[in-house]
Amino acid sequence: MYTRMTLSIVLLILLSSFARAEWRFEGKTGVLYNSNLSNSDRSADVRDDWAWRSDIGAGNGLQLTRDVRLNFGADLRGEVWDRFGAFNTIRPGASAGLRYRFGLGRQAPWVLLEDRFGYDRFQDTAQSGYDNVLNLQAGIALSDRMALEGGYAFESFVAPDNFYDRQVHRGNASILFDVTSSLQVTVGYIYREGDVISYAVPPRPDIARFSIEREDEDEFGQPLRTAYKLLGRTHALSFSLAYQLTKYASVQLGYEYAVTTHDPLRYENHLVEANIAVAY
Amino acid sequence: MKPLRGFVLITVLIFAGDLRAGSLEVVVKDDKGRPCSDAVAYAAAGGAASAALKKQAVIDQREKQFVPYVTAVQVGTAVFFPNSDNIRHHVYSFSPAKKFELPLYSGVPAEPVVFDKVGFVTLGCNIHDWMIAYVAVLPTPHFQVTRQDGRAVLKDLPAGQYNVQVWHPALKGQPEALAQRVDLGGGTKTLDFTLPLKHDMRAKRAPGLTSGGYR
Repeated sequence: MYTRMTLSIVLLILLSSFARAEWRFEGKTGVLYNSNLSNSDRSADVRDDWAWRSDIGAGNGLQLTRDVRLNFGADLRGEVWDRFGAFNTIRPGASAGLRYRFGLGRQAPWVLLEDRFGYDRFQDTAQSGYDNVLNLQAGIALSDRMALEGGYAFESFVAPDNFYDRQVHRGNASILFDVTSSLQVTVGYIYREGDVISYAVPPRPDIARFSIEREDEDEFGQPLRTAYKLLGRTHALSFSLAYQLTKYASVQLGYEYAVTTHDPLRYENHLVEANIAVAY
Repeated sequence: MKPLRGFVLITVLIFAGDLRAGSLEVVVKDDKGRPCSDAVAYAAAGGAASAALKKQAVIDQREKQFVPYVTAVQVGTAVFFPNSDNIRHHVYSFSPAKKFELPLYSGVPAEPVVFDKVGFVTLGCNIHDWMIAYVAVLPTPHFQVTRQDGRAVLKDLPAGQYNVQVWHPALKGQPEALAQRVDLGGGTKTLDFTLPLKHDMRAKRAPGLTSGGYR
């Protein structure tokens, strides 16, 4: 794992020396609310929380041909939760992506193959581990103002404690609409299938039948809970908007409603986020 | 004495011509009464076309923007597209009046692009989607682009009758629909234009919600 990360960083440095490479700097900071951070199905077990979240990144792009662009980047992501500090994380990572555009111009269809590899360091160190996301995304503009995007991602998380290992397949589709030159709105759907961790106050024999248990977890304080790892299916609807404040900055608001099921377990999450994003 | 008489006659004619030259001030507003910058005001005489005032123009690329945003040229003008950034750009146009492509380049391309057909051309950069600019290719040498105050002055127009039109990148409809005729002698005349404009839908440079746009 270390080898892959080192290799990515070395490649990033090498590429930076190319005279024609194009640097890009990005940053995002804001708040995130999760109505059910504990992924619990019983209302008595549900714990919500707010987090302050920030991402910074630097990337380097090489336009190899008219249609092909190679991007390398490194980033650092962090979350600090208000009440449940065990979920505080810092996530350094590196990514590489190849983007192909089928033709010339803003409305030409495109496809992007990207991989991000990182390390997620949780305050509750048992949860820490290596995170890899392989993402295939495509898009097409329907008009000057409207575009469709969709894709597939495979997420893999490997932790020293196998309980926290997770593998997830995720598909997404979204429609983007430019309301004005400054305001962009997106409506999206996400289907997610894979490992989830749900917390509940024991005993829960109904969940234990189809999950792996890890008892006496104190991430959510007293009473101690059991963490259940199980295969879940999530359907999520999202709504986002971005408003351009300046040439380099925008404010972004997002809402997502997600329902995760594995009969008889069913839980919901409402995610709300507000961010200031800058790119140069 | 005959050469002297001829010289005097020519001098008088030249001065007489200057006295008859006039200026036309064009004031452009949008349909909400706000001054409209980046509009192209142009005047075409009824007779034969005059000689070109300028046969070369420059549209630069600086800080990932085309400069200027709107350029007016007379048909047949050669336009240079220097790239002043330290990265490469890829300029293209799909417009019927001039379809062309300047593949990924730095510095100044050896050959300019000759705009040899009257019309309005939209320029883009295939790498940076927010980069956009317009070229108005006109059948007359008499044109100006309006300033921030919505005004443009067309100077030294020979006396005569002109068909005056205004075009803007966001104009709804064709400029012919708003054409005005004016008889110009000496002095300055002012024409007011009110343009119906579409919403400004230029692509954003600030971070948006898409993951697909080139930056």
